[in-house]
Amino acid sequence: MSDAGDAAGSAETGFAAGSRAAGEALVEFENVHKYFGETHVLKGIDLEVDEREVVVVVGPSGSGKSTLLRCTNRLEEIQEGEIRLEGQAISAPDADVNRLRQRIGMVFQSFNLFPHKTALENVTLGPVKVRGLPGERARDRAMELLDRVGLDDQASSYPNQLSGGQQQRVAIARALAMDPRVMLFDEVTSALDPELVGEVLEVMRDLAEEGMTMMVVTHEMGFAREVGDRIVLMDEGRIVEQGDPRAFFEQPETDRGKRFLSKLL
Amino acid sequence: MAGSYSGAATAEGDPEADGDVGPAVSDRTVRRIGVGISVAFAAAVLAMLAFILVINPRSRVDPDLLVTIVPRFFEAWLLVLGIFLAGSVSSVFFGIFVGLGRVSNSSITNSIASVYVEFFRGTPLLFQLIVIFFGIPALWPPGAFPIENFAVPAAIIGLTLNHAAYVGEAIRGGIGSVPDGQMEAARSLGMSYVQSMREVVLPQAWRNALAAIGNDQVILVKDTSLLTVIAVPELISEFRDVNSATFDPWTPIVLVAVAYLGITLPLGKAVRYLEARSDWGGDDR
Repeated sequence: MSDAGDAAGSAETGFAAGSRAAGEALVEFENVHKYFGETHVLKGIDLEVDEREVVVVVGPSGSGKSTLLRCTNRLEEIQEGEIRLEGQAISAPDADVNRLRQRIGMVFQSFNLFPHKTALENVTLGPVKVRGLPGERARDRAMELLDRVGLDDQASSYPNQLSGGQQQRVAIARALAMDPRVMLFDEVTSALDPELVGEVLEVMRDLAEEGMTMMVVTHEMGFAREVGDRIVLMDEGRIVEQGDPRAFFEQPETDRGKRFLSKLL
Repeated sequence: MAGSYSGAATAEGDPEADGDVGPAVSDRTVRRIGVGISVAFAAAVLAMLAFILVINPRSRVDPDLLVTIVPRFFEAWLLVLGIFLAGSVSSVFFGIFVGLGRVSNSSITNSIASVYVEFFRGTPLLFQLIVIFFGIPALWPPGAFPIENFAVPAAIIGLTLNHAAYVGEAIRGGIGSVPDGQMEAARSLGMSYVQSMREVVLPQAWRNALAAIGNDQVILVKDTSLLTVIAVPELISEFRDVNSATFDPWTPIVLVAVAYLGITLPLGKAVRYLEARSDWGGDDR
């Protein structure tokens, strides 16, 4: 009970800190509720993500953080509340989901590269099929992106010829090819061998430095502390604490935050 | 397949074999027994064929008759080949839609596809052919049915409807074995459901279903033998004509066997080629 009270309080302050950055929020969550059957997994989420902001969502497993990301591009439906991208409600029944999704890049824990297409084709598929970009231009742009994630020499490789880290970097390039306004990262290093985590985080760090708006669900606390502009701690479907990552890791405001950090050590 | 199986057997069987614990049968012994059985079986079949066609005087192939009947069997073979090709293309084409219907989220599409599959899998092909060939024209007043030589069209329709059900089930299974993340990744790029199916899910489902579809298409070839009951001049009809005229079953039997294998063996090769082609850089890293 006291946790919930704290959550409301710190949500306010976190929001105030976040909105200092620049103008209107890019992604807004307003009283978002999500049920899986009887299970109440998101219990009134209020959150705003500003342009160029990197919001890192942490929390114990089952806290609803991945669900929150999946609701953001409507891979999951919400039952109450609203999620807006640049003021447009993506959760509305009549929303043009295919159109809105083009502005939201998503990277998954399990990569989900298309195994029947080469790295290059994985990256060009969206722009060609969805945007109608001519093949040649899509190709040039894809090579640029593959170069950016350090994989221009693997353009003609199939996913199962690549390491997990390489696959995940192709997946990031694939999402970037749609020129998204915001990138969602759903535990993208959790399925990787430890020695491959660094190369993926490196790409994400570069993206953040270039000013990409990002929502990152992760267990990589080092990354959260270094790259995050704001950290959001979720537990049991609620945001229990949010604020500056450095402050959070040094001195959490809530008991729940303290307990979460103590378990990490 | 056989290689990976015996590999697994080695992993499990070796510790026992090496450690002298109990009377475990070693992997090598199992393989020798397998080879022995295959060789014995092949030898028995060859010996039987030799006895029937060469040694036994009453069942010898008659070279003169053979030469006379080859042209008509070739014609029947071409007809079977044509019916197979038409039935194959259309059953695979419609089967894809049946499979898509089976995985559809719309309960109407889903139940229509289910009823279709249950009916065409649940009744014999022979019965379906009879309904189409004898039943449908009888819905018109006598002599008013517009299609004159209905046997071959009826055959193609029947084979298509029947095998589309089986191909549909293979496709459904193929789609089911594509991870959900593939559809999610495609939709996340902004592709519609139809685009995602066509570009991402179906190509993978197709590869997963290829063995089952190939199997079904081989059965389709053999199912053309049922067309003899709706007066299609295919291979079995030719056999019956020749046999009743000459009382020599073995000469046409040999031709019929060669004719069917002349379609099914290349078909098997074609399926294996298609499987190898969608290898996508190999299964393992």
